[in-house]
Amino acid sequence: MIFREVEDRDLIAQAGRGNVDAYNVLVSRWEKRVFNYLLRLVSNREDALDVSQEVFLKAYQNLPKLADPERFTAWLFRIAHNEAFSLLRRRRPESDLADVPRPSQSGNLLPIELSLAVESALRVLSEDQREAVLLKVYQGFKFDEMAEILGCPVSTVKSRLYTALDLLKSTLAPAVAGGRATFREGLRGES
Amino acid sequence: MSCTLNDQKPDWKAYALDELDPVARRQAEIHAAACAECHEEIASLRLTLNALSNLREEEIPRRIAFVSDKVFEPRWWQGLLRPSFAASFSAAGLIAAAILVHGFIRPMAPVPAPIDTAVLQRQMEQQIEKQVAARVRGDVSQQINEAVTKAVAQTEQREEQKTAAVLAATEKRYTEQRRADFATAAANYDMLSKQLTKMYAVNTGVGVR
Repeated sequence: MIFREVEDRDLIAQAGRGNVDAYNVLVSRWEKRVFNYLLRLVSNREDALDVSQEVFLKAYQNLPKLADPERFTAWLFRIAHNEAFSLLRRRRPESDLADVPRPSQSGNLLPIELSLAVESALRVLSEDQREAVLLKVYQGFKFDEMAEILGCPVSTVKSRLYTALDLLKSTLAPAVAGGRATFREGLRGES
Repeated sequence: MSCTLNDQKPDWKAYALDELDPVARRQAEIHAAACAECHEEIASLRLTLNALSNLREEEIPRRIAFVSDKVFEPRWWQGLLRPSFAASFSAAGLIAAAILVHGFIRPMAPVPAPIDTAVLQRQMEQQIEKQVAARVRGDVSQQINEAVTKAVAQTEQREEQKTAAVLAATEKRYTEQRRADFATAAANYDMLSKQLTKMYAVNTGVGVR
């Protein structure tokens, strides 16, 4: 017997017709990605969880309006983007990025230390730049999908992302310096 | 060694982010193999992206409340909003709108004033006074009605008698007049008959002496 995994588009079609179980499967498939994206954007676990909840609720309510099920992922992240920035706008007066810790200056970091260094480096970016990195590096969207999610031209997406990469490169340089020589050797070996 | 392509260098960020098409990607790789500066740039970008990939993916602290949870169950009216009910809703909406419009166009019934016990008591007293007055007026009216009825009956009787007398007198006079007319007519007939006889006799000589 051949077991075929149910495709997202089938689940979306069923959920759009009011099948709650199909939507539950969709939620379980996407909740972790959406939560992590929101967590990096809003930098607070409880807020990220609350916003995730809102995102999936709004997605359920608006699912019948989704014309093309193939666009579900971009559409879902578009909702997440809107909800996250709605929260960020509400709490902006209280935010203070000046206190964000800088990445460690050590060149040989443990994975957990490197993870914390990346987390800190991401917080140095503006919200727009950070979101561009999150969508590209962690969610794997293409430029045109990012433009759809963010509601801006591809050129703007690239501009934000490239600026962010330059900033991250310089911010993370001390943290990754230890691995640079090894990495360079590895590249030479490949070519 | 600086890159020989200068401003026409490949978009290394797009390359590192896997956004170049296969042809552009191949050309970029060929160039990078021979260009130390571009080679260094790719290495730097890959290091950064590699570092970024070390970011821990967080486990979700608790599951997202599924829509099957009670709080997310569709409301009864949301079920009614599904397309199968849309046509029925449209018709019902039109009818409801028509009823509402009709209700607004019609003159409004006066809104009853709030009940005031003092006013109510005064109204009751006025009502009682009206009923008493009506009762009193009713007795007088009855007497007047009886008197008027009696007077009318008497008047009618008198009128009938007068009419009957006038009729009788008229009929009597008419009968006498007819009799007189018959008598006059008979006399005239006799006289004319005699004159004719006399004229016949004169003309014919019959019976003339």
